[in-house]
Amino acid sequence: MDDQPKEGGEGDKKIIHVYPLVKHSDMQEEMKNEAIDMITTACEKYAQNYELAAKTIKEAMDKKFGTYWHACVGEGFGFEVSYETKNILYLFFGGNLAIVLWKCS
Amino acid sequence: MPDKANTSSTAASLTPASETAEEFDDESEEESKIRVRFNVRGLLRVFTADFYCCGLQQQIRASSLGSKHAGEGDDNDNWTRTSRQLLRPADQMDLTETELSEEIPKILSTENRHLPQNLVIYSFKEGAYIPIPKSTNVVTIFECEGSAIHIESAEAKAQIARDGVDPRIAELKSGTQTGATTPDLIDRPEGTPEQGEGEGSEAGGEVEVEGEEEHKEVAVGTTGGPKKKLTNQFNFCERAALTCSNPSRSVETQTVPPPRSQFGANVVQWHIYDSYNEDFDRQTREKEKEMMKEKKPGLQKHAELKRGDAKNKATEEFNRKYLQKCQILERMVNQNIFDDIAHGWLKSFLTISTLTILIKDFRYYEDPSDEFREDDGTLLPLWKFTYDKCKKMSVTDICLNTHYFDLYAVCFGSFEFIKQVSEGCVCLFSIKNPSFPEYRITTESGAMCCDVHKKYPYLIVIGQYDGNVCVYNLQMGTKEPVYVSQGVNGKHSEAVWEIKWGEDMQDGEINFYSLSSDGRVFNWVLMQNKLTLTTIITLYLDVPPVCGPDGTMIKLKASGTCMMFHPTNKEIFQVGTEDGLIFKCSTAYSSKYLMVYQAHYLSVYRMDYNKFNSNIFVSCSGDWRVKIWEDMRNDPLFIFDLGASVGDVKWAPYSSTVFAAVTSEGRVFVFDLNVNKYKAICSQQVVPRKKNKLTRITFNNKLPFLIVGDDKGTSITLKLSPNLRLLCKPPKKQGWMDQHTLQVQKLDRLLSLVRELPEGGQSTENDPVDDATSN
Repeated sequence: MDDQPKEGGEGDKKIIHVYPLVKHSDMQEEMKNEAIDMITTACEKYAQNYELAAKTIKEAMDKKFGTYWHACVGEGFGFEVSYETKNILYLFFGGNLAIVLWKCS
Repeated sequence: MPDKANTSSTAASLTPASETAEEFDDESEEESKIRVRFNVRGLLRVFTADFYCCGLQQQIRASSLGSKHAGEGDDNDNWTRTSRQLLRPADQMDLTETELSEEIPKILSTENRHLPQNLVIYSFKEGAYIPIPKSTNVVTIFECEGSAIHIESAEAKAQIARDGVDPRIAELKSGTQTGATTPDLIDRPEGTPEQGEGEGSEAGGEVEVEGEEEHKEVAVGTTGGPKKKLTNQFNFCERAALTCSNPSRSVETQTVPPPRSQFGANVVQWHIYDSYNEDFDRQTREKEKEMMKEKKPGLQKHAELKRGDAKNKATEEFNRKYLQKCQILERMVNQNIFDDIAHGWLKSFLTISTLTILIKDFRYYEDPSDEFREDDGTLLPLWKFTYDKCKKMSVTDICLNTHYFDLYAVCFGSFEFIKQVSEGCVCLFSIKNPSFPEYRITTESGAMCCDVHKKYPYLIVIGQYDGNVCVYNLQMGTKEPVYVSQGVNGKHSEAVWEIKWGEDMQDGEINFYSLSSDGRVFNWVLMQNKLTLTTIITLYLDVPPVCGPDGTMIKLKASGTCMMFHPTNKEIFQVGTEDGLIFKCSTAYSSKYLMVYQAHYLSVYRMDYNKFNSNIFVSCSGDWRVKIWEDMRNDPLFIFDLGASVGDVKWAPYSSTVFAAVTSEGRVFVFDLNVNKYKAICSQQVVPRKKNKLTRITFNNKLPFLIVGDDKGTSITLKLSPNLRLLCKPPKKQGWMDQHTLQVQKLDRLLSLVRELPEGGQSTENDPVDDATSN
């Protein structure tokens, strides 16, 4: 994990963490790592367009691990999902983004 | 079969009577039924059966009526049982019994009798009445042409003639359909024509049939093929077979759906922020842990050592605390153990009431018998100091600590070349604790000599039998030397006999000098972490070189046995050698001797400068003699023969004229030249003569006792009786003079006597010898 502490403009040091932080996941380790990679790339690629990012994540996951994946990318939302067990990933990224990724066919 | 044939035949004959059917139809529509019949020709005809059973119906109707009546009668019977008279109609015929039993058959016919037989119609064409053909009462509802043909029909015959079908089959077929007339033909075997002939009545027909059969046989014979069904030429229908098809089944299953779970959360920015912070904290903590872990492998050993050290330190500290206590306790115990000695003294001092418990201390004991002696004194043994491990070693050196007067170091080793010890030992004893040494230092080979630094009383330098020297710092512990000589060239090649700390060098480096029997004097400087060595002097003998191997010339060296430094002039030192010479040298010149004394006949064991006059020194030797010398004087001032090899001699620190010597016979001699120039004022056997030898002697600097060492590892403290330590009484006129000047004066006075009379000196040389020998 890479943490890149940045200095905020304010008076005292404000450290902003941007690394992906897995908040909740019951995935297999391999799948989780892959998913984190995908999310990282997608969110970095479409930093301004969450919809596109979510779409990219979803499609990549569908391709990689079979249908049907659902992805949510946003700064503030609530969710309550049913998912196929061992197929959820809830992580924070970039300091202000939350991404939920789950599979439910 | 015959019935069928009948019906079919009647049906065939019914056709003309069908005209009347309509009448019956009206009456009984409900009862009408449809009959299906195959006629002989194969035409299916359907018609109502009502017409031929009309009579029957009437009868049935009548009987039903009758039954009705009978039913009524029954009812009447039930309630007019008593009368039992049968009512009978009036017009009923009375019939006789025979008439009643006669059977009257009723024949039903299909012929409609009501139909007019002879209806005519006028034909204008012919101009005459012609009969109208009889209308039939047959109504054709359905007609279906069969494929079979009658065997006897012309068509069948033509077909048989054409195809040659087995006539029997055809017969069989036709037989089943044609009726009662044919079975006979079928069943009859071909080979029985007589039987057929015998029947007679139908002979003509039979012949005809037989002819047919023959014809057919011919056909069969010609074709010879399998039986073939006769088929209608025009409406032939092929027969097809259909196998039963597999029944289809439908089966359904359902798998268990994959397990599902629920998860929900609310994403808000501060949650994200908090999570990141939490995680970061955790990471930093882990990193720290890892750092610790990383440090570990590299520094594990170190850490372990450290830990070990810490542990050791802790235990050491603990031990030190307890050690102190234990030492005090030990001393107390020892004091109690040796209480009887003290007690003994106490007894002898009973008269002195002022004596307190302190009387136990050795320092307050004075031999009271001295008062009654003229000049002689005694030595009272106080304590014996031994160390179990060194019991078989001899005391090679005794060195007083300059700081603690009660502490002294004893070197254990061996003087014997043959009986060398495997390891040496240096013990520092305190007279407060006779049972156990305060410090113990173990050396690799026998310790031959040691010296305690004056400035740094914790520094001890030890010379060993193997030529090595080592420096111990008692503050750092006694296990490892602080400095040790290294290598073959970095040490003496023979035993180190005397070792002395030198004055600190100009830049404050601590250094010491060592003398070995290899004839060299080294100066060792304690550098940062090693000893550096410089040769001060090599003691070459003043004799021509000796031939060595391969024509080399070897300069003989004197092997030194003892060395002493001038108390005031630190450059000057004297070396006694094995061949009895004493060299006076200076550290400034490495090749020249300041003076050479032809001192003894055997090796010089020890020398000592007078504490008050450094021009005077004493030497002892294996030639039994103790000689007192003045600096730069070839001849000794005094010679004393002690009757045995003299191991050591020392000037007393308190008197300029007192010195003590020990001999190998176990005697301690104390001389006071001021009292007796010829004889020792005290000569006392301290150890058993045959068993032990005394090797070394030292005066305590402060307290009036001697320490002597023997060759059994024992050092004994001897209390000097008052007569042995007489001090100078200042003259009445010069009461202000201090003891030191008085002592110097005393010695000078004595010396002046000797110096003035060189001849007398000679005489004095002889006299003590005589004395000694006389002893």
